[in-house]
Amino acid sequence: MVAKTLILIEHDRREVKRPSLHAVTAARQMGDDFALLVLGHGMERIAQSLVSLGAAAVLVADDPVLADPLADRYAAAVAKAFQKIGATTLLATSSTFSKDILPRAAALLDAPMLTDVLKITKSNGASTYRRPINAGSMLATVELTGELRVLTIRASAFEAPPSDVAACPIEQLEIGSLPDGARFISREERTSDRPDLTEARVVIGGGRPLKDKETFDRLVGGLADALGGAIGATRAAVDTGLAPNDYQIGQTGKVIAPDLYIALGISGAIQHLAGIKDSRIIVAINKDPDAPIFHMATYGLVGDLHQIVPQLIELLSQG
Amino acid sequence: MKILVTFKSVPDPYESAAPGGSPATAKSVINPFDEIAIEEALRIRERGEATEIVGLTIGPAAVEEQVRAAIAMGLDRAIRIDDSRALDPYAIARILRAVVAKEAPEVVLMGKQAVDDDSNQVGQMLAGLLGWPQATFISKIEFLQNQTRARCTRETDAGLEIIEIPFPAIVTTDLRLNEPRYVSLPGLMKARKKPIEVQSCDDLGLKVEPRTKVVATERPPKRSAGVRVETVEELVAKLKEEARVI
Amino acid sequence: MDNATREVFGNIAPSMQLVFFAMILASFAWLAWQLEQHRRQWRKARRPGFTRDWRVWLERLAIYAAAQKRVHKKSLGALLHLLLFSGFVVLTIGTTLLAIAHDGPYDFHHGWYYLIYELTMDVFGVAFILGCLLAIYRRAFRKPRSLGHNWSDWWLLSVLLSLGVTGFAVEAFRMHYTQVPPPVAHWSIVGWLLDRTLLQGLDVPTAQSIHLAVWWVHAILVGLLFATLPVNRFLHIITGPLNIATRPDRAMGALAPLTIEEVEETGRTGVAELHDFTQSQLLSLDACMECGRCEDACPATASGKPLSPKAVVIDLQRLMSLGGGNVHQTIQDETLWACTMCQACVQECPVLIGHVDLIDDMRRDLVGEGRLAGPPARALQQIGNQSNPYGRPNAERLAWAEGLDVPTVDSNPEFEYLFWVGCAASFDPRAQKIARSTVELLTKAGVSFAVLGREETCTGDPARRIGDEFLFQERAQANIETLKRRKVSKIVTPCPHCYNTFRNEYPQFGGHYEVRHHSTLLAELIAQKRLTNQHKSDDPITLHDPCYLARVNGESAAPREVIGATRDKHYREMPRCGKKTFCCGAGGGRMWFEEAPEERVSRLRAAEAVATGAKTLATACPFCLNMMSDGMAGTPGGEQTRVLDIAELLLERQSRELER
Repeated sequence: MVAKTLILIEHDRREVKRPSLHAVTAARQMGDDFALLVLGHGMERIAQSLVSLGAAAVLVADDPVLADPLADRYAAAVAKAFQKIGATTLLATSSTFSKDILPRAAALLDAPMLTDVLKITKSNGASTYRRPINAGSMLATVELTGELRVLTIRASAFEAPPSDVAACPIEQLEIGSLPDGARFISREERTSDRPDLTEARVVIGGGRPLKDKETFDRLVGGLADALGGAIGATRAAVDTGLAPNDYQIGQTGKVIAPDLYIALGISGAIQHLAGIKDSRIIVAINKDPDAPIFHMATYGLVGDLHQIVPQLIELLSQG
Repeated sequence: MKILVTFKSVPDPYESAAPGGSPATAKSVINPFDEIAIEEALRIRERGEATEIVGLTIGPAAVEEQVRAAIAMGLDRAIRIDDSRALDPYAIARILRAVVAKEAPEVVLMGKQAVDDDSNQVGQMLAGLLGWPQATFISKIEFLQNQTRARCTRETDAGLEIIEIPFPAIVTTDLRLNEPRYVSLPGLMKARKKPIEVQSCDDLGLKVEPRTKVVATERPPKRSAGVRVETVEELVAKLKEEARVI
Repeated sequence: MDNATREVFGNIAPSMQLVFFAMILASFAWLAWQLEQHRRQWRKARRPGFTRDWRVWLERLAIYAAAQKRVHKKSLGALLHLLLFSGFVVLTIGTTLLAIAHDGPYDFHHGWYYLIYELTMDVFGVAFILGCLLAIYRRAFRKPRSLGHNWSDWWLLSVLLSLGVTGFAVEAFRMHYTQVPPPVAHWSIVGWLLDRTLLQGLDVPTAQSIHLAVWWVHAILVGLLFATLPVNRFLHIITGPLNIATRPDRAMGALAPLTIEEVEETGRTGVAELHDFTQSQLLSLDACMECGRCEDACPATASGKPLSPKAVVIDLQRLMSLGGGNVHQTIQDETLWACTMCQACVQECPVLIGHVDLIDDMRRDLVGEGRLAGPPARALQQIGNQSNPYGRPNAERLAWAEGLDVPTVDSNPEFEYLFWVGCAASFDPRAQKIARSTVELLTKAGVSFAVLGREETCTGDPARRIGDEFLFQERAQANIETLKRRKVSKIVTPCPHCYNTFRNEYPQFGGHYEVRHHSTLLAELIAQKRLTNQHKSDDPITLHDPCYLARVNGESAAPREVIGATRDKHYREMPRCGKKTFCCGAGGGRMWFEEAPEERVSRLRAAEAVATGAKTLATACPFCLNMMSDGMAGTPGGEQTRVLDIAELLLERQSRELER
């Protein structure tokens, strides 16, 4: 088969990672036909779950040597698949997986690449791409030259695709020999499904007023889950045992710059503000109307967080 | 054992992003991720596992201050490829490949991304061009078997991965790898005595053109000076409609 | 009575006298040789660093050596030292006078002079022995940890006590065998009492033989005391006064500048090898007699950090006795970074050792050699790049003034006072209230003032304390330029660190200003009735003295005047106040270091504040405000306490006045 766009799908060896499907929406927006690529070992179920997304085909490279994602062999496999179907665009959703593999594949294909594309606009047959630069404090509009291109898109900028199209075929790919210098040793996966604090688009921060670990996990965690975000904490909260220290945000903890930061019961000491000052939107919920954080918050809500946060979680889960 | 560390001069990220600042007016500094790479290379040498640490950057004469700062941290010498164009990651990777061919290091270390462009591509592209193994976003690195391979811990969305790569290899560094040492004025003074080699693409026998062009940049919608909301419903509505962040 | 006197060397044959003098000479020669070895070590240092003004020497010796100003305290240690010191000094003077009388042209050792002499010597002899006994008691039973327990201490005490006891024994036996009659005998009261009680019935020849034996024991002990003086803490009777007299004459809050030329010459920015210190600093190491008062006062030690100022001095002293070497192999980096530079150690030291200078010199080397990383490194980088340690764009310098009509140097060029806000009050949201309150107060009182706005940049104090001297000098020179251009002569600032730097350190670079901390100016305005500090509150209130205001710059009266402490029945003083104040933990650049909660100095101070029962804690420093707010909120009993700057409190009282 042939297709103009090849989309690399990410999975965790058990099932597809939902955000990686958002690339399908980007491909649809671009208007060309596309194929999905799955790499791994024991991929039948995963491949089957992808047939109704409107792809021309689901390509599968299933081999023990691909059991773990190592860039040297994965990029080579991607390049082979790309060339096989005569594609001109290589696409994936931004993640540490795609960022590791796609640039290497781009070099193999002699193609330019853009990461974290937010928007693709076509005018007069030419495409322009919008992406964040300077830690998201600026947006750049970019043009590419040449026949080929490699793109990763930001999951939050594209919606999840509908999965209601008539099934497409699944094709097994012959990948031949692949580089095997690197060796996979082990992985240590966080049991949480939440994104990494320093890279999450949405972060919920909790302060000392959350009283105890159970309340912290319920309110901060609950809100984080409702928004698909990560959890952070002030130093005061970490000190009192409400959160582990790798959640600490601030001058001597992590410095983050999410799109949305919601501060629960945080007064806004300068050391904490140093860690969040580059967030795009800051929401502050605090009982004290004079809390310094209100000077920095885009939206401020004065009140008791123990009542407000459950309301907020409920409202967000409905919408 | 020679390590080549590449670094980029970027506008200070805090100053650029601050409300009163911009990338155009901010002071230039060494890309923070590259500083971490330099620091790691120095520690490897301090452990006796490397003998020469060479720095490499691409940029016009104006980046000399950052080159001095990098040398001041402890590099043995540095190379600057003189080029004042707005290059893209693929062009950069091709230039680096030419230098790597000349210098023949066993390991190339660099920050995972530059904080002005945020592409996170150069290291991986260079590895693809060279056909070398790569370890990206590392938070820990250990040299093994007489400095012929390395065990690396990588930071991924899901947690951590540990892989091993034989040399020669490309390694890109993530934030938690180390905390770079501070360099004060006397260190910078000492750095003046160390050599900086300046070359051009012509000297390398290269002709590279970027294939990416930035046609416009703009600020995202500005944060209005703090609004108080009265109810939860109002908050959610504003986040959805006004800020469009959820 | 006019003829009252006694024979000197009565029982000692001339040949024995020669032996005696030879022994004493040998003992002193041995002492001199050892002292010379010490002096050689000091001289290995390149720069002298001494004060050369003899008038300063005399003044200091009078106050600190003779009058023992730093020693006086309500403690057993202070008491026993007073007894030992006065006893030893008087007995030594006495022996010297005796020698002069005996060997000199005119023998004045008779008559009333003799009788008073005898009594004085006996009284001080008792004092001396009492001091020895108290010292033995304290060392054996009280065992204070900071005292230091070496075998040489027991040697010294044994020798001293034996000298005291044998001294009286010699006197008693002499009186017995020479049969001194009353009432003359009564003047040598102790000897007389010993004679009457213990030596009754002893025949004269026996008494004479025993006298000779005890006399020799006493003489040998004297020889031993001086010969072994340098190997135990007694060395301080020589090195102490030497350091007291000659240590550098610099204000407590001023660190010594460094020049680029020095760096180019030595290749170092600070102290790496022991002999990079100055000769004066090396001498000061030998002056330490391990009293432990610095350690007792140190907030780092109290909060469990690996720093004791005493250990730093003693470790360096030991390194010197080994001939020198690399200081960083003896003293860990963590030890040096733990210091808040509160100067409590320097304030306590009876022999005027400058611990903070030692630590800062070593820090400068760490910074110069790239051994600083993490949050404090980031703070320094931000001072360099954004002109403030918080990393905020300097253009935001007046963000705190939003909504207030604050005169700037442009809008009010004829200003009298430059109100220097400082980085903390400019950028720390909690501390911004200090700036706002102060501006409102100054405006209300009709003071002519102005702020620099964007032209204000960090004074460089954190850079100097952390150890980047050149970053500090760069900032200082830039600010001095600005202040000159704006024709500033009077400065008022709410930050004691800025105050200290302007007052004591900018003069090193040609910046001379009349500087006031805001508490001083506010107190003046209250005295002039331009502001009121009347209030009706019956809330118990206490004050935390900032180190750099109260101890380092001697200002503790003004903050109290501002809050009306003297007339306030509900004001409580914290146990450690004024010059003895206890640090909040932010100094020495520690504001920018990461600390585990159990290690935080502010918790200790907060506990002290809570113990006073106060519901309001007043401070006079933006860092103290930050640290104590945090500390009180995390201390049981302190969560409800209001922590405020004196300016905020004073402003509250103006409003109440208007309401009346």
